[in-house]
Amino acid sequence: MRRVRGLRLAAGLLAVGLTLAACGGSGDDSGNTATPGSGGGTSAAGPKMKVGMAYDIGGRGDQSFNDSAARGLDKVKAQYGLDVKELEATAGESPAQKEDRLRQLADGGYNPIIAVGFAYSESIGKVAKDYPEIHFAIIDDFTEGTDTGDNIANLTFAENEGSFLVGAAAALKSKTHNVGFVGGVNTPLIKKFEAGYTAGAKAVDPSVKVQVKYLTQPPDFGGFNDPGKGETAANGMFDAGADIVYAAAGGSGSGVFKAAKAKGKLGIGVDSDQYNLPALASVKDVIMTSMVKRVDLAVTDFVTSVHDGKFAAGNKVYDLKAGGIEYATSGGKIDDIKTKLEEYKAKIVSGEIKVPAKV
Amino acid sequence: MTAGGLTVGAEATAAPVRRKRITPVTYLIVVVLAFLVLAAVRTMTGATDLTSSGTVAAALTAAVPIALAGLSGMWAERAGVINIGLEGMMVLGTWGAGFAGYQWGAWAAVFFGLLLGAIGGLLHAVATVTFGVDHIISGVAINLLAPGLALYLSKLYFSDAPGGGQKQSPPTGDVAHITIPGVSDGLGTIEKKEWFFVSDLAGLLRGITTNLSLLTVLAALLIIASWYVLRRTPFGLRLRSCGEAPIAAESLGVNVYRYKYAAVVISGAVVGLGGAILAINSGRFNDGQTGGRGFIGLAAMIFGNWRAGGLTTGAGLFGYTDAMQLRGESAVHALVLLLGIALLVLAVVQFRNRHLVVSGVALVIGAVLVFWFATTDKIPAELVGAAPYVVTILVLALASQRLRPPKADGVPYRRGEGG
Repeated sequence: MRRVRGLRLAAGLLAVGLTLAACGGSGDDSGNTATPGSGGGTSAAGPKMKVGMAYDIGGRGDQSFNDSAARGLDKVKAQYGLDVKELEATAGESPAQKEDRLRQLADGGYNPIIAVGFAYSESIGKVAKDYPEIHFAIIDDFTEGTDTGDNIANLTFAENEGSFLVGAAAALKSKTHNVGFVGGVNTPLIKKFEAGYTAGAKAVDPSVKVQVKYLTQPPDFGGFNDPGKGETAANGMFDAGADIVYAAAGGSGSGVFKAAKAKGKLGIGVDSDQYNLPALASVKDVIMTSMVKRVDLAVTDFVTSVHDGKFAAGNKVYDLKAGGIEYATSGGKIDDIKTKLEEYKAKIVSGEIKVPAKV
Repeated sequence: MTAGGLTVGAEATAAPVRRKRITPVTYLIVVVLAFLVLAAVRTMTGATDLTSSGTVAAALTAAVPIALAGLSGMWAERAGVINIGLEGMMVLGTWGAGFAGYQWGAWAAVFFGLLLGAIGGLLHAVATVTFGVDHIISGVAINLLAPGLALYLSKLYFSDAPGGGQKQSPPTGDVAHITIPGVSDGLGTIEKKEWFFVSDLAGLLRGITTNLSLLTVLAALLIIASWYVLRRTPFGLRLRSCGEAPIAAESLGVNVYRYKYAAVVISGAVVGLGGAILAINSGRFNDGQTGGRGFIGLAAMIFGNWRAGGLTTGAGLFGYTDAMQLRGESAVHALVLLLGIALLVLAVVQFRNRHLVVSGVALVIGAVLVFWFATTDKIPAELVGAAPYVVTILVLALASQRLRPPKADGVPYRRGEGG
């Protein structure tokens, strides 16, 4: 029997591996179906520009980060009449699969190619070297030597600045002088949110307590897509005295809002103006504000620059000043403190306040 | 459920003592003792989250899908069919819940989760029972097929639905939650006093009586019903006989194929329900939502010795630690002490049962943990997330030494070949 159990365990592990492989496979298939249509790459260029987009986990319909990128793409598609190809990532895939996805787009003659999310960092660096004539863009990452090059534009955001403002809003609104931060996955990018949020809250109220929790540790990226975990973590914070929790956790944020609603507390959204998302309509009355990241703006800017022949490689930071970061006022819950927030905003834009990017 | 952490020790105490079953009274005494230790640790460390009502409620929510996966595995394996396809059937359940939930509400989601899980079970039964396919291979095939199918169907049905996406369904809605008004508030007051044991007990009871999902109640009833049917009815006896000695059962006139079919379809339905509950508690179907819970359930069942009580304990232990690590890191630090004490107790118990190696291992790890607790103030955040896996594996592996799977588990059976 002992042998049977060993076999079973081995098969279980095998099953996990194969499942992941199969998921990746489905992504490849969808890519292959496109290749015949795209024909001879450069020669078939015609008047239509071909734009390739590779999404991160969640893809279109994640109500957050990827959807924002998709909105930008839809806009330029209508504007310039683009030929667009979109591919999606699957949960738990390997960097090799991400690389394959980018190569498919490159081989299909798509130029420019946009990779949505820092997870593409390594893959885009490798692929861009092999296709020097194609313009690449990566959203959310700028790592010297990994994803930099003459044909890569790094579109990054000053999330710390936006998080500073919602942190200030939380501290201004908190009655218990106790606020929370739920991060999806413990990565440098999300730490940047935390750093800004904590700094903003402390700027308003130096004695404020900021509770911090990351749902998962890399390489487990499930924390961006597990509302149950978000709900449990937020409940823990509310029970420990917090009355406002900032959900920098992608799809897990809905769990944070659910917990807030059940306990009569408030939540802060991320990436998109989450108050207005149809999928969150049932909990929107607890969404005090959202830290809005204009990924759509970055995408439209980038495609326009390539379209006009003005591609610029290197890091382009979308911050408060550039209008790439905003805070949402939908729902009217922060109307009374808006003037104070605008003061902070002006100070950040002028450089009077330097928001830390690291915890 | 909070006491689950240490009740495993109870089974260890009893299991090796020559088939002498633990009586409910002993079980109760051990549970109370374990809870006393828990209360003592809580008082000592001041980590109120060890026994707070919030932890208990979150633990219940986290434990239910895993317990149902384990229960599902028990149904199939008691009839001699290894069901490694639990994860895949659970995925089907989550998708079914998403599909029905947004159109017709949460109870329809429950029904569709059951239905799709049962279809997955039927597939496994056709392959293994009728066609004699190796159980592992069929199960792996289902694990491969289900996520792909769910993703394909999501793109088909959810992409254009309001609030849905290619990888997620629109909101499913939720079933009613019950709170016992007077009791819950009264217990809340006691819980806040932080009295030794009394407040801890209040926290435990309040967690169970406050905002309790009817789905949790349903799951609990299902576990009890499964125990009763398998252990106390002729149907259950015949079903188990198919897992122990199918040829002997056949010679006594039992239609083994029919019982295996029934068991595997029920197994699929149960784990499908687990998936549906997972989806409803998350608010919607999501791609990759199950996150290996089917496999964790399978492990809970194996370490729970193919018994309802054992697998529930395992699932409860996992849910409890998972809830605690998500709620706050200070409690996880206290948990290190708790785990250390539990392992030291296990070491003594296993020593008395003359499992010297196990006892030694438990002793060393337990001592290291207590030392670690004494010399640090907090656990690195990177390790906190691993707590549920570490705790569950350590406690269950060191506590359960005499596992006895059904004798003909995974053994191919063809009618009329018994000679």
